[in-house]
Amino acid sequence: MATERHVIEPITTSRQLRFLEEAQLDTLREATLDILENVGVRFDSEKALVIFAEHGANVDRSSQIVKLPRDLVLKAMANVPRRFTLGARDPDLDLPLKEGVTYFTNDGCGHNVVDFETGEQRASALADVAMMARINDYLPSMSFCWTMVSAQDCGATAPLYEMDAAWKNNTKHYQSVTMMGEKLCRYGVEMATALRGSLEEVKRRPPMSLICCTIAPLVQDKDALEGAMVLAEAGIPVVIMSMPTMGTTAPATFAGALALADAEVISGTVLMQLATPGARVFHCILHAWADPRTGGYVGYPLDARTRFAPVEIAHHWGMPSLGGACGTESAEVASWQAAAEVATDPLLVSMASAEIVTGLGLRATYTLLYPEAIILDSDLYNQARYSHLDMEISPETLAVDVSAKVGAGGHFLGEKHTRKYMRDALVRSNCQELDAAGQYRDPVEVAREKVRWILENHHPEPPAPEVQKELDRILAAADKELKG
Amino acid sequence: MSEKLFEALIQAVIDGEEEEAEALVRQALEQGVDPLACINEGLMKGIEEVGDLFSNGTYFLPELIQGAGAMKAALEILEPELVGKEQREVVGTVVLGTVAGDQHEIGKTLVGTMLTANGFKVIDIGVDQKADDFVAAIEESGANIVGASALLTTTLLELKRLIDSIAEAGLAEKVKVMIGGAPVTQDFAKEIGADGYADDAIAAVAVARKMVGAAA
Repeated sequence: MATERHVIEPITTSRQLRFLEEAQLDTLREATLDILENVGVRFDSEKALVIFAEHGANVDRSSQIVKLPRDLVLKAMANVPRRFTLGARDPDLDLPLKEGVTYFTNDGCGHNVVDFETGEQRASALADVAMMARINDYLPSMSFCWTMVSAQDCGATAPLYEMDAAWKNNTKHYQSVTMMGEKLCRYGVEMATALRGSLEEVKRRPPMSLICCTIAPLVQDKDALEGAMVLAEAGIPVVIMSMPTMGTTAPATFAGALALADAEVISGTVLMQLATPGARVFHCILHAWADPRTGGYVGYPLDARTRFAPVEIAHHWGMPSLGGACGTESAEVASWQAAAEVATDPLLVSMASAEIVTGLGLRATYTLLYPEAIILDSDLYNQARYSHLDMEISPETLAVDVSAKVGAGGHFLGEKHTRKYMRDALVRSNCQELDAAGQYRDPVEVAREKVRWILENHHPEPPAPEVQKELDRILAAADKELKG
Repeated sequence: MSEKLFEALIQAVIDGEEEEAEALVRQALEQGVDPLACINEGLMKGIEEVGDLFSNGTYFLPELIQGAGAMKAALEILEPELVGKEQREVVGTVVLGTVAGDQHEIGKTLVGTMLTANGFKVIDIGVDQKADDFVAAIEESGANIVGASALLTTTLLELKRLIDSIAEAGLAEKVKVMIGGAPVTQDFAKEIGADGYADDAIAAVAVARKMVGAAA
């Protein structure tokens, strides 16, 4: 373990998978435009309604339904930047969005934890956020850091404390999954400014970004959206995320659910562009299926043919995409279900060319944290990453001379060439670690050892004392105002 | 002077430098250095170090095989010089081969390497060897262990034929038979009357040491 470096290893590939035809993407877009223009989206925000009205949208104040003319949508969408950089605390870990590179993060935002020491299940707390940020910081599979669980012991200002805990324990880009509301997000901007030294630096290398969720079907949440607008104004990237469930909060057909979700994402994106032209916005649809008897949420059915179509829908709009991966429904840390449901996700979502992807490491449909699960999921990630690496073909690697020397029969163990290359030819996963007797070890035990090692040995550089002092001051001010 | 040469010999084995090891022992013989000292102070110490490095996970199979290869090449030059003098001390003598109809070599070779690295004298008769060839090699070498490998289910029965042939030749009391190979199991070994079974080269050393009454 000591040989692992403090670097990030995103999935890089020139190979691409396309799930939808260009004509299908055009048809989906037309459906989105139809929904936006003729059905409308409810914006539970006076601020949003005012902005839409000023820009010629059809706003019904009583129902809060906003209908967006096609031209307004297309004009606003033309301002969305396709590529930009997510800044990290450590400049070497900045994430420039580019073709063929997919950056992964951990899952979020869970609320239950199987305690690493006691094995007891309990509510998540700030210490868990800090612990997982530190583990994330160590793992090369993690290019940036999500709020993995919520700090339920911190009250109304928890999202700010979660970010503070991340920065104390993690040097990568931080994406908040919980920050909502105009007031809270203003404190978020103030903290980002304190970390960077100026608002200009925040805009240049935003150290944080935000997940802003819609409410399917076709509703925008006041606090989520108004908070996102504050951050977008400060140059901080925002992800507009729709999570429709087929049959309950969206049509039961794949295309219908995607068109509806796309309308939610695009309506939010248009608002961001009207408020702050050029605002950095990611497109995200994480759709699910409903059990036809209970209505229960099913994230991983056998037929999930559209799982990565949203990445293409985003790109068709000229937007970067946040893809979803590894959200198993299994509540066990290492069941067959926990691995099998998600095994192909990292490979497929990276080949779909998502710019950023969540999320490794939670169980029970994004709700339950076992600290060691992220180590196990990283195996799936690395399996995909290695699949994309180039094979070197040269006289040295072809080794025809070595094959000629050994000839028919015999073996290659006596060759210097073998001595040079065999050592690195085999990369074992956590599932393949051997015990002293040469038998495979329990991968969960291996993962737990690794977590323990990271917690004992990996201590990222925290913010400078004067910066931390300022962050503490902002947190205290936020507590005073928002906790009453 | 000899000390320096022994050190170079140890290093040649550790590095798996076959040609270097050969050149060094030729030089030693020219200088009148005792060939037995070359073996005990040079080659054996080198191969012990290789064995240790393999055991602690530093060395992998190529380093092990190449270390044993360097030692074997040097021994082939030194052993004829021991005639009439004191013979080198060995833990046991093993005739090793893959049975008739089976061309698989690597497992058998690894067992030979590990046995060599642990002080056994190994006579590797190769692959596709009939029971009679094993018997002839036992009689010629006076071996006290036979190691036979079969990798195919179709050649498994050759192992039984070998044990029968050894009995028919009246060698059953003189030589112990250990067997291995992918389809071979402990139960199968017991069924055909083999004296020992190992599922990899490291286990084979322990079995062989037990057969000759050496400490584990």
